[in-house]
Amino acid sequence: MSTQNRISIKEVMLPLGKFPVLSEKSIFTEALEEMCNFKLGIACIVNQTGTLEAVITDGDIRRKILNVQKPMPAFFVDFAIDHGIKNPHFINENMEINQALNLMEEYEIWDMPVLNEEEKLIGLLHLHPVVKALLR
Amino acid sequence: MSLKEVTIGYDNVTKVKVGRKNPLAFIGGPCAIESKDHCFMMADKISEICNRVKIPWIFKSCYDKDCRSSPDSFHGLGVEGGLDVLSQIRKNFKVPVVSDFSDPSWAPATGEVCDLVQVPAYLCRQTSILRAAAETKRPILLKKGQFMSPWNMKNSVRKIEAFGNDNIILADRGTFFGYNMLVNDMRCFPIMLETGYPVCYDATHSIQLPTSMGNISGGQREFIPHLVRAAVACGINVLFMEVHNDPPNALSDANTVLDIKFLENILVQAKIMHETRQEILEKYGEDNVHPE
Repeated sequence: MSTQNRISIKEVMLPLGKFPVLSEKSIFTEALEEMCNFKLGIACIVNQTGTLEAVITDGDIRRKILNVQKPMPAFFVDFAIDHGIKNPHFINENMEINQALNLMEEYEIWDMPVLNEEEKLIGLLHLHPVVKALLR
Repeated sequence: MSLKEVTIGYDNVTKVKVGRKNPLAFIGGPCAIESKDHCFMMADKISEICNRVKIPWIFKSCYDKDCRSSPDSFHGLGVEGGLDVLSQIRKNFKVPVVSDFSDPSWAPATGEVCDLVQVPAYLCRQTSILRAAAETKRPILLKKGQFMSPWNMKNSVRKIEAFGNDNIILADRGTFFGYNMLVNDMRCFPIMLETGYPVCYDATHSIQLPTSMGNISGGQREFIPHLVRAAVACGINVLFMEVHNDPPNALSDANTVLDIKFLENILVQAKIMHETRQEILEKYGEDNVHPE
C-alpha cells in the first residue's frame, strides 16, 4: 500500500478553528483580516447551519481588484460572499487522499474545503500539511 | 441582487408601491408644517397636480426641524401639534404622509401617524435613531448623509434590518463638496440599489448651499429640473421635492423649496423620463455592463 493511501483526509486536514470560516454576513474587510490571521489564501463562507456556501481566495480578490476598479472602501463594506465563488469545489471526508490530490491538480488549486456526509464544513485540506505528511 | 418593493400606506389611504417596475412616485410638501391651514392648502394644490399628472404621491412635511442653523429659526409645530395636522391630512386627502424625526423618543408617535418615517441625513448612521425607526414597523425613508459614501449606507441598511425592519427607501440629498456646497454623484443610485431597496432623489435639498448665508442655507433652484432628469435617467424609484406656494416667505428652507408653480412641469418630465427609461430597458435589456 502506498503512503498516499495510508493517510486519511481527516488526519491531514486543518480542522475548524485552524482556517478562516466566515458567515454569509461577513464583510470583505473581515475576510481579509481572517485570511491574514491564519496566513491562508482562502476563507470558507458558511450559512447558519454550517453548510458551505462559498469560498473566497487570494486569486478572487486579485482579479476583483483589477477588474472592478471601485474605491477600496466600497469593497470593504461589501459582503465577502458577493466576491467569492459560490458552488466551490470540495472534497468529502471519506475520499482517499490521492483522489483529493488529483482534484487539486486538475483544478490547479491547493486548498479544498472538506465536507462531512451531512455536507457540513469540517475542515480544509491545505496542500502543505499533505506534502509534509507524504514526506514523513 | 433581488429588487425589493416597498408599500407605503396603512388603513384607507391610497397606497403607494415603490421599487422594481412600479411607476415613479413623488414625495412632496412644505419643508415644515407651518400651520394646519397652510398644510391643507398645499396638500390640496399638490393633490390636484399629482392627479393631473397621474403620479402616485406621499405628502411630506416635518413637525420639528431640529437641524436648523440658527436657534431663532422656525422649528415647526412640535410632535403633538404637527402629527395632529398630518393625521388630518391623511384622513382628508387619503394620502400617505411622511415626517422625519430627530430624537428616538419621538419615533413611536411618528410611526403611529405617519405611513413612512424619515431618518434625517445628519442622523443616518445613529444606531439609536435607526433602531427607533425600525421599531415603528413603518417603511423608512433613509436619507444618505451629506458626509456619507453611497456604499457606506449599506451599514445603515444592515442596522435597520438587524432591528427587524426590511422596508427601506434610500435617498440621496447631495454630498458635501468642500464647504457650503453639495453635489450629486449620480452613481449613488445604482450603488445604493445594490442593497435591493428602492432609491429616491431629494432634488430640493440637493441644490442647497448648506449654511452659506450666515445662519441659514442658500440654494440654487435653477438646477432642480436638470438634476431631476438626470436622477430619473439613473434609475430612481421615488422623487422627493419640497414645495411651497411662496418660497421667499417659507418658514423653513426658503432658499431651496420649489415654487409650486413649477411642480407640474417637473413632474410631467420626470414621469415621461421614468417611463421612457423603462421602455428602453425592456427593449434593449437591463444594464449589463458589469465587470466580472
